[in-house]
Amino acid sequence: MDQKVINLKLHDRYPELGKGPVPVDPYISQDYYRREQGGIFRKTWLHVGRVEEIPSAGDYFVKDLASCDTSIIVVRNKKGEVRAMHNVCSHRMNQIVYEQRGHTRKFFCKFHGWAYDLDGNLTGVPDEECFFDLDRCEHGLSMVACDVWQGFIFVNMDPEPALSLADFMRPMFGGIEGFPFDKLTTGFGWSTVVNCNWKLALDAFQEAYHVAYVHGHSIADAIDTESGGSMPPLDALCGEYHRRLSIAGNPKSVYGNPNAVTAGGEAAKEALAVSGESKPIAAAALRAGMGSATHQFLKEDLPQGMNWTGHPNWLFDINVVFPDFYLSLRPNYCQAYNFRPIAHNKTLLEARVYYPEMKTAGGRFYLEYMKVTLRDVLLEDLSTLERTQAAVETGVKKNMVLQDYELLVRHSAHVVDRMVQQQAQQSTKKENA
Amino acid sequence: MNPHDIAPTLPAQFAALTPFTNWCLATETERNRKRNASAMLELQAFRDAILPQVDEVVRYLDGFSLDAMPKDALNLMHMLLSLAEIAPAVESYHQPGVIDGYDPARFVADEQFVMRPSV
Repeated sequence: MDQKVINLKLHDRYPELGKGPVPVDPYISQDYYRREQGGIFRKTWLHVGRVEEIPSAGDYFVKDLASCDTSIIVVRNKKGEVRAMHNVCSHRMNQIVYEQRGHTRKFFCKFHGWAYDLDGNLTGVPDEECFFDLDRCEHGLSMVACDVWQGFIFVNMDPEPALSLADFMRPMFGGIEGFPFDKLTTGFGWSTVVNCNWKLALDAFQEAYHVAYVHGHSIADAIDTESGGSMPPLDALCGEYHRRLSIAGNPKSVYGNPNAVTAGGEAAKEALAVSGESKPIAAAALRAGMGSATHQFLKEDLPQGMNWTGHPNWLFDINVVFPDFYLSLRPNYCQAYNFRPIAHNKTLLEARVYYPEMKTAGGRFYLEYMKVTLRDVLLEDLSTLERTQAAVETGVKKNMVLQDYELLVRHSAHVVDRMVQQQAQQSTKKENA
Repeated sequence: MNPHDIAPTLPAQFAALTPFTNWCLATETERNRKRNASAMLELQAFRDAILPQVDEVVRYLDGFSLDAMPKDALNLMHMLLSLAEIAPAVESYHQPGVIDGYDPARFVADEQFVMRPSV
């Protein structure tokens, strides 16, 4: 444990972020949220799902993006490309698709039967001769910029995005490209509408200072802690938009040593030795799961951007993709959460976890143990959010005070505010012109 | 469960677990609801019954493909997944629900998610 890094002085690396108190008005201001919608959500790449959700031509899902006041159809076309379009008929604006997901050859509007192909082209109009010089080419569905990074599908409401998705992601996340996301083909999901601001929700996930308290009953023993329970991160990185935090685990626990199920051997022995006594169901699940995964996930094969400090007890990296996408990468699974704003004080949390497929009943038992533990940890994380929102809304405190290891919370507020201010400046310029 | 339904049956060698077949539940939502509606003593009794033979249960179930389990094996599989469901209650929280936790009924599992496993 002597390899642990303490006193990182992370803030010293990012002097532009300052060290002072951070205003909480952005958590409770309706006006600030409206400015985030224009300055951020309508012009940034937003994660909406995985390519594995729509494996075949004609597979689609619908994503409601309240922050952009729209609903998007994401579909795989006949060429195998992923396309996105607004769920709005060109005729009299009915929603084209009612179901949240499905498979179709074409999209038919249920109002008057207008038909569109998988690329959004208008291909059929009942009683077409009764319209006046109708040019089908001009009345396709309204397309939305859509691209894929490492199997994650993103959309951008800006028809001509300022940055390509690759240019948006690479500066911070180029080093994790190549992670075997495509081998994580078993997924579970939950959703909930939380009565709090989206940033307040995200902030609860982008620091580990809370772990010893919020998770004191559950997984605190899975995390590599200092005596006294505090949990310094291994390192943190902040970029122009995105941010990362690397965390060490306790290899002597099942939850904190997920590598054990795919690596077996010494890793498994270590995880089982202690948990066999204290957490016999956890130990049984690990014994049951070993050798069941369809892929091996060797630590040495992981891209170099993961566990970038090379710490032997590394457990996971938190990757926050601006603005609202949390992607936690473990050696053999990942968690993907979106904190989608609905209003200034309402957030849709869509949480997913992706594991390797398990071939056997024992492997399935292990996944259920890992998933249920994670879900309960999420219930702990969520427990503070509405209370914190209510407390902020009292107006008693105007600022929050952040310590060095809460750097990502500070960086998040900083980037959001920069984007909101930029948008305000551009609007002023336009008005003056 | 509808009272007119026939009680789930288990493979003969695990007949001793028959008193716990109300844990043969097919979805996370049902298993979590039952966990949160149970007394701690009930959770412990279920654990005490299945845990000593859990390795045999797994060995038996590993003999089937997950996509093609006979009904009695599938019932046993669902019971095994219930053991995973109660693990945090009996090994971490020492109460049925998450301590100070967010309402689990508001954190809705997507039981129709396309990437979920067949069982």
